[in-house]
Parts: sequence; structure tokens; C-alpha cells
Amino acid sequence: MKIHYYPGCTLKQKTTALDISTREAMKRLDVELVEPEGWSCCGAEYPLTEEKIVGLAAPIRILRQVRDEGGDVLVTTCSFCFAVLKRADKALRDDPLKRKRINAFLKDDIQIDPLTKERTTGFEDYAGEVKVLHLLEFLRDRVGYPRIRDRIQRDLKGLAIAPYYGCRMLRPQKEMEVDQPDAPRLFEDFLEAVGCSAVDYPFKQECCGSYLSVSLPAADTEASYRVLRSARMNGARAVAVTCPLCFYNMDHRQDAIKETYLDFPGIPVVFFTQILAWALGVDKAVLGLGEHRVPADGVFSDIPATEVRT
Amino acid sequence: MTAKPKTKEKRIGLFVCHCGVNIASVVDVEKVAQVLKDYPGVSFSADYVYMCSDPGQQMIIDTIKEKHLDGIIVAACSPTLHEKTFQEAARLAGLNPYQIEIANIREQDSWVHTDKDKATRKAVKIVKSHVAKALQNENLEPIKVDVNRRALVIGGGVSGLQAALDIADHGYEVILVEKNPSIGGKMIQLSETFPTLDCSQCILTPKMVEVSRHPRIKLLTYHEVDSISGFVGNFKVRIKKKPRYVDETLCNLCGECEKVCPQIVPDEFNMGLSFRKAIYLPFPQAIPGTYTLDAEHCLGLNPVRCGKCKDVCDKKAIDYDAKETIVEEEVGAVVVATGYDLYTMQALGEYGGEKYEDVVNGLEFERILSASGPTGGVIRRPSDGKVPQSVVFVQCSGSRDTEHHLPYCSKICCMYTAKHAMMYRHRVPDGQATVFYIDVRTGGKAFDEFYQRTVEEEKVLYIRGKVSKIFKEGDKLIVWGADTLTGKKVEIEADMVVLAMAMVKADGVQDLLKKLKISTDIHGFLAEAHPKLRPVESLNAGFYLAGCAHGPKDIPETVSQASAAAAKVGNLFAQKELSHEPTVVPVNDELCSGCGICLTMCPYTARTLDPSRGVVVVNEILCEGCGACAAACPSGAAQQRNQTDDQIFSMLRAMLRD
Amino acid sequence: MRVKLKAGRDQRKFIKRIEELSGENVFACYQCGRCSAGCPVAPEMDLLPNQIIRLVQMGLDEEVLRSKTLFLCASCFTCESRCPKGIDMARVMEAVRHILDPKGKDAFGPGEIPPELAQELPQQVLVSIFRKFAK
Repeated sequence: MKIHYYPGCTLKQKTTALDISTREAMKRLDVELVEPEGWSCCGAEYPLTEEKIVGLAAPIRILRQVRDEGGDVLVTTCSFCFAVLKRADKALRDDPLKRKRINAFLKDDIQIDPLTKERTTGFEDYAGEVKVLHLLEFLRDRVGYPRIRDRIQRDLKGLAIAPYYGCRMLRPQKEMEVDQPDAPRLFEDFLEAVGCSAVDYPFKQECCGSYLSVSLPAADTEASYRVLRSARMNGARAVAVTCPLCFYNMDHRQDAIKETYLDFPGIPVVFFTQILAWALGVDKAVLGLGEHRVPADGVFSDIPATEVRT
Repeated sequence: MTAKPKTKEKRIGLFVCHCGVNIASVVDVEKVAQVLKDYPGVSFSADYVYMCSDPGQQMIIDTIKEKHLDGIIVAACSPTLHEKTFQEAARLAGLNPYQIEIANIREQDSWVHTDKDKATRKAVKIVKSHVAKALQNENLEPIKVDVNRRALVIGGGVSGLQAALDIADHGYEVILVEKNPSIGGKMIQLSETFPTLDCSQCILTPKMVEVSRHPRIKLLTYHEVDSISGFVGNFKVRIKKKPRYVDETLCNLCGECEKVCPQIVPDEFNMGLSFRKAIYLPFPQAIPGTYTLDAEHCLGLNPVRCGKCKDVCDKKAIDYDAKETIVEEEVGAVVVATGYDLYTMQALGEYGGEKYEDVVNGLEFERILSASGPTGGVIRRPSDGKVPQSVVFVQCSGSRDTEHHLPYCSKICCMYTAKHAMMYRHRVPDGQATVFYIDVRTGGKAFDEFYQRTVEEEKVLYIRGKVSKIFKEGDKLIVWGADTLTGKKVEIEADMVVLAMAMVKADGVQDLLKKLKISTDIHGFLAEAHPKLRPVESLNAGFYLAGCAHGPKDIPETVSQASAAAAKVGNLFAQKELSHEPTVVPVNDELCSGCGICLTMCPYTARTLDPSRGVVVVNEILCEGCGACAAACPSGAAQQRNQTDDQIFSMLRAMLRD
Repeated sequence: MRVKLKAGRDQRKFIKRIEELSGENVFACYQCGRCSAGCPVAPEMDLLPNQIIRLVQMGLDEEVLRSKTLFLCASCFTCESRCPKGIDMARVMEAVRHILDPKGKDAFGPGEIPPELAQELPQQVLVSIFRKFAK
């Protein structure tokens, strides 16, 4: 199976662990990932006002490139990118005015011919032809849990993982159309398919603080702390995330969290793709564990962790 | 029918109403009367400021007599308002009421147009069309129907009980059908009632006893209405008698059977907070006072599998071979009093509904408060029986939520929450009660005073803000709210949370209502005939509504409505015979080919095919004169009285002529 | 503090503009406060989310535009997912920020990040925060 894959700029630079583990896992599942030619940053934020639609240009050109390369599906692992791409695509499908304006705006954009790799200008209007999927959806619907279960090489029974959805994957529900924001199953079903047990805890889609880690670190520290604490209290061995920003807030800034909340012992934060890759037999060395500030090696020991704190 | 006057000689009178400025500000009413003065068929034409007033009507009566009119047209508002008024005026003047035509030049003209010139011309056209129709109107007499002066009340809650008592006290026989083993409904589950704090069971059981002893009330518990056919004054009801497996006349409530029954079932009377046996008495004051064997949870009604209850019953009241039987009754009126249910807590995932034992709904809390409840009236939380030191009450749980749940207000929650908070503070004086609200609605008599007592005397903290999320952390329930009045986000650690869940249509009643063809609104509540002026009648003649089946309401309103419905039944039964509108659609045998197209059109199943003659026959009493069959009939055999095809074409020609 | 509510053209213009930009009907809000109750950053805000939309309803543009709250919103959409009237409060916040845009300097701009921190931040954070809070 060949599928278009959008890593996003952060995955190529600061959070390569998410990219590497995704690739390794997909190899084991016979899924070939193809990045759209000349892709650029998606913009990270879907413009929320009716007038700031120039922010739609970046995601649309990525989707348009995928379409021109013959793809009808684009898979991404980063929740931020997922939200922008999906919402931009929907906006162009539903709103003819936005469709007209963005396509007109991108008219002079350079297009890269997929066969000749030549740069040309002018292309057919994009009208929402590409379906945007989060990797979790792709695994559930296109790969299927049976295939994953068939290829599992490590028994992760007893590994209690707290799935962290964050904000962008599920909300706003009317546009993301992934799962019910207050009672989701997508991530839990994935973890169970991979052999772990999914921890149920009340903070699984509460905000980690997002970009406020830069402008208002105190608020961010508290928000991330509450998520991690809740996961720990409910017996999780580690928290699984799908977003480099959540990872940054909860892993890189865990020191800051411990400085503010002195009796917090900490908890490792991992990417769901690392768990997937690990279960599929990928070597620990290729999971990108070096990027973690909170050591996560313990989670990936050859004997799965049986220590479950309640 | 009296002989119809010859068309050429018919003398029509025209009365054009100003309706104050409603019509006159757009339509030049004087001009209309003037223009039509010499129109063929019109013998008299006048305008007047308010035709519906006494002088207006008197004008009609006097003119009919003086000018020997055979028919009149009142050009005014919609016939739904005053057709009966003018028909009655005509009748008083000696004219057949069906010679009255109402030309609607208000809703169809002055209220929807602004161009005075065009509106006046349109009014003239409208009146001309009615002249054309009036010239062919026949004298008609209402169809008379007998009325069976017996009533059926569906539902044995407080509304059904009250309606049954009032109708029976009027002197009529009532059949009261209740699907549960005992009457009492939801009210018997309550602990205290606001604002008097009366013990609910103490004030309801006397009514229950009265119903059971009333000589004119036939009480059928553990029965369910299966279908109702017929029409107002003449209904045939099929009622399913569910097998109780216990003979209620023999059972003496000794309770031995219950002691030996091995099956344990969540007790629905206690909202699942305790258990009962498969053979059970729903509650101590149940009426009828008999045990009931719940076949669904019994080991098999088979003495080979288990015959313990039968063995110990020395009255020999238990019979495993009892079967479902059908009871048929004939009644003249039906009161639907099927009650309500609470919105499922499962829908409020973010409040931990159904997930956390200590998040309960109002009825569960009532059982916890009740002296006859699972905790003997001591407030204990379900999970571990601890007495909660901090209870949070969340109003509007599921109500007033247009986006995700129910858009309407459930009316009673503000009051019962105040009551719950007050009761909690009475019994746990050191405990903290907090209520999260958006508004506090206390419109009834002595209601606001009750609420103020809760705040001022019981020191219950009311925080204005809708709760965002409730979750469990260790032993406590964390409630995330906000105080919009001081602008603070608020977090409370509670031992127990009570959700004021929305009131919704009663479970399992939808099929019955569909079968009965009773109209309901989009939320499944019974639809009244007119929201302001006819709140206890259904548009389906002969059906009356009472209680929460009609919409959320408290006990005083329920009782009022039940008595009102009973009064309406009384109105119906007080008539010697019922009158049915004669503007029905008879069948012209000579033209009817028996094709049967009209049968499929009729929503009232008024038409049947007579196989021996090969023509369609209409039951004029069931026919409501909707005209669908007349429109569909290919041969013109179906012609509505005083609205024949000829008349309609005459109206069109009159309108289109100039 | 005495507020003289002017129901004048300026106030109506302001409300209309917010509704245009956000695509939301601000008068649908009945001030239940659920948005504020679930907002993760509310404890740090000077005006709660429900108060922001309240001020918009009242046409008090100056007070709303002065609020620090506008630049504390993390666009997490918790408010939107729980509002019983289906109002997307995050959009209303963005609309107010949009009106503020041409008026002042960056609420949070590149100059506010020390170089060492900038080195380790994921690109995602920089792009998103500048899109939201820089001019």
C-alpha cells in the first residue's frame, strides 16, 4: 500500500522521533509513505476568522500537490497539522467563495510536476478532493487492526498506557468528525489492538497548554501537570501523545513541572508510533528515544512493564 | 335537509369588516362593499368596523330577517376565529348555518400585502369567489352521534388518578389502566414535595385508596392498552392483561414467597439503588396490595426449576400457568396521562453520568431521602455508604441545551433542587450544599419564598455558572464550574453530585401513541389543540391530555390539568348526543367505479369498499371533511358537501374573470 | 464604575463586525458560563471568556479590546465543544483579536523569546503563537 504522508516541519527537525518511529512502523505494515513533492509548513493554525483566509493557502497547496501526484488520501501524525489540513480541506469543499479566492490566490504558485520534477505554474482548482486522515484513523480503517495484530512481535500485555488526545484531534467535532470529544474510543482501540491496556483518565482531552508554554509558562506548566498527574493516578506507565507540541510541553518541560510541583515524581511521555513500532518488532535504537528529556527507555524494555500503580 | 333555494333567486348578503385597522388600513373596505353592491346574486352589501361585535352580529341577524337573505358572506378574518360566531348568528335569524361563507380578506390579504390598490382589488376577487360558492351552497344539518358515557384513563400516576376521580365523581364510569403492578406513578417515589414539604406518599395514598374503592372506577393494574378504534363517543379499546402469576384477590401480603425467592433483581422503585426479588411488592402502600411475579427474572415459572414461592404460599395464590389475556372495553372519551421519564445520564458523558456511582439524578436522590428508601432516609452515597459532607447540585443537566441535548426548560428542577438542598442541610447540618445554576425559576405560589429560605436560612451556596466537567479523583468528585457573577473559575471537591436531569417523554409509550394516532410534538410530548386556549384537549376528538405526558410541569399544575381534562370529558358526556360537521364527502354510487383510490387517501379510515356492490361506502361520522378523497377521485363520485368540484370551479372563474 | 450604554451606530458596528468575522451570533449566548468553567487558562485571565462575549453583547468595545484575556486563549476549543448554544467562543476571541490587530504592537512577538529558548522550541510553537498573537 502506498500512501501520501505529511510529516510537517517539526517532525523533520525537532521531533524526529515521531517521524522515524512512524516510518519504521509503516515499513512493518507494508505501507509505503510518500511525501508530497516540495511540501512546506502547513501554517500550524487554522484561521478562525472569516477574513483571514490567507492562512488557508499553505495547507491547500499541500493538498493540491497530493492530488496532482495521484493521491486521494493524505495521512499525518501531528495533530496540529491534521487539524489545519482537515479543516482547510473542508472549508474549500463547503464554501465556494473561499474556494474561489484561495485558488485564485494560488494561481501563480509554483507546481512541481510529479513525473518530470519540473517546476511549472498553473494548475486545476482544488475543490477538496483529498481526504485527510490522522494516522490513528488510517490504521483503524485502511490498514485494519487485524493486520496489525498479525504482525505483532512483542507481547505488550500489562503495559498500561494513557492515551492523550489533546485538543486538536477531536475538536471542533463538527469539522474534525473523528470521534465524540467527551467519550472517544479511537486511541483506546488502537492501544488495545497493539496489545497494551488503555488507561481511562479524565484529562485525556484537556489542553496541555499548547503554545502558552512560550508566552505564559505558568499556565502551561499547570495544565500539563494536571494531565500527567491524572494519568499517573489512574495507573499509567506512560502517556502516549500524537503531537510534537504536547510532547514538548509534557516531556521537555517536565523539569519545570517538577520544580513547581515538588511532589510530582514524573512519568514518561512517548509517541503512539513508538509503541506501535516497538510492538511490531522494531529495534529500540531506531525509536528516537534520544530526543526524550524524561527517560522512556524503561517503557521499552524487553520485558513489558507489569508495575501498575492504582 | 331542507329544499335548497333556486340558484337564480338566491339572495346573498355581503358584510365587509374593517376589523379596526387590521383590514381597513390596507384594503378599502368601503369600496369593496360598494363595488359588490350590484354584483349578480348580491342583494345587500355593507361594511362595518367590527363584524364580530354584538352590534355587528345583530346587524347580520336583522338584515337576514329584513332583506329575506338566503345566504351571507362575511368578508373578514380567518374562519378559524369566527365562523362559528356568524353561523350561530345566522341560525338565530332562522337561516341554515351552512349558508354562511367567510371570505378571508385579512390573513389572506390585508396582513400579507402593502399595496392598497392591489389589495383592494384582491379583496373584491376573493369576495366574488365566495359569492359563486354561496350561490350553490345547500342547507345542511349536523350529523348526530350517540355518546357512550364511559371514560378510559391511561396512566395511574397522580394525573390519571385525579382525572379518574373527577370523572367518576361526576357520575360516570371510568376504566383506569396502569401498566405497572401498582398505581402511584413517579409521585409515590418522591420523599417530600415542594413547597409545602408534604410527605409525598402521605398525600398521594389517600387518592390511591379512593380510586381503588370508588364504585365507578374499574382499576386495571398490570394492564396495557393495546389499541383503540372508533371515534369520539364511540371508542373500542383492546387492553392486554399481563399475567401477574399471583391472584390479587387471594394474596394477603404475608411475604413468605419473597423470603424464599432465590432471584435478586435491581429494584426499579428504588431506581436500582437496592434489590428486590423476582416475586415482589413494589412498595408497602402498593395498590392493589398484592405480590407480583416478574416472569422476566423468574427462574422459569416451572416447578421443576424452582417452585419455592408457590410452596410457601398458604393462600394458594400463585399460579404459574396464568396467561396474557385481552380485555375489551367500550368508552366515549380517553384521557392520556402516561407521565414522563428522566433524560438518561449516559448522555452527559462529561458529567460522569452512569460512570460514577455517586453522580445521581433527582429521582435517585429522592429515594435516598425517603424514609422507605434504600438507606432508610439517611443520606448516604451509593458507592460506600458514607454520609456525604459536600454535595453539589447541578441544574439544567440536559435541559436548555440546543446544541447537544434538549432545548427546553424542564420547569421543575429549580424547585426540586432547592428542596433537595434544603433536605440535605436539614439532615447533615455540618454538610456543605452547593447549587450550580444558570437561572432560578420559581414561578408558582410560594415558590420563590421557598427558594429564598433555602438560600437565607439553610445557607445553601448558589453559584451562577453551568458546570463544565465532573470527574473522580480518589475519593472525591471534582466539579469544574464558574461563578459568572464574580468572574471566577471555580473547582469544588464533592462527595456526591445530584444532576437535575431533563424531563423527557415517557419510555415505551411512543408505540402506543402512534397506534392511537395522537399527535405529539417533536420532543414526543402530547400536542394540545391550542397552546393558549385548549391546553387539555388533543386535536384528535375524544382524546384529552393530562400531566407530564403533555410537557414538564409540577404537581399543582398536573392536578389542575387532570381536573380540567375531566371537566372537558364532562362537557362531552353532558351532551345528549354529539354533533359532527356535515361537510363530509359522501359517495355518488352511480359514478363510483370501486377503483379504491380514495381508500388509500383517507387518513381517518372513513371509507371502505363494499364488495357486494362494488362501490365505496363512507362512514360519515369518521369523515372529517379533509377533501383528499375528493381531489383524488377520478370519476367525481366523491364530492364534498358545500365544496363540490362545481363550486370550486365557479370560485376560480369568478376570480379569474376580470 | 458607571457605564453609559450607548446603543449607537458605533456599538452596533462593533457587534456586527465581530459577528461577521467570527460567523457566530453573539446574542445566542445566555451567559451560562460553561465556557469559563472548562477553560484551562481561565484562572490566569482578567476577564473570563463569558465576560468577553458579554461585553461584546453590550457593545463595550474599548473594555474588551483592552483585556489581557485575548492573548491567553490557547484555542483548545473546550469552550466550543461544551457550549449549550453551540457558540464557538474561540472564534469570537479570534474576531476580537482581529479587530485589535491594526491597532497596537505585537501582543507576543519574536522579540519576547530569548535566543537559547528559540533554539529548542519546536517550529510548530513559533508558527502558531506568532499567527495568533503577533500583528
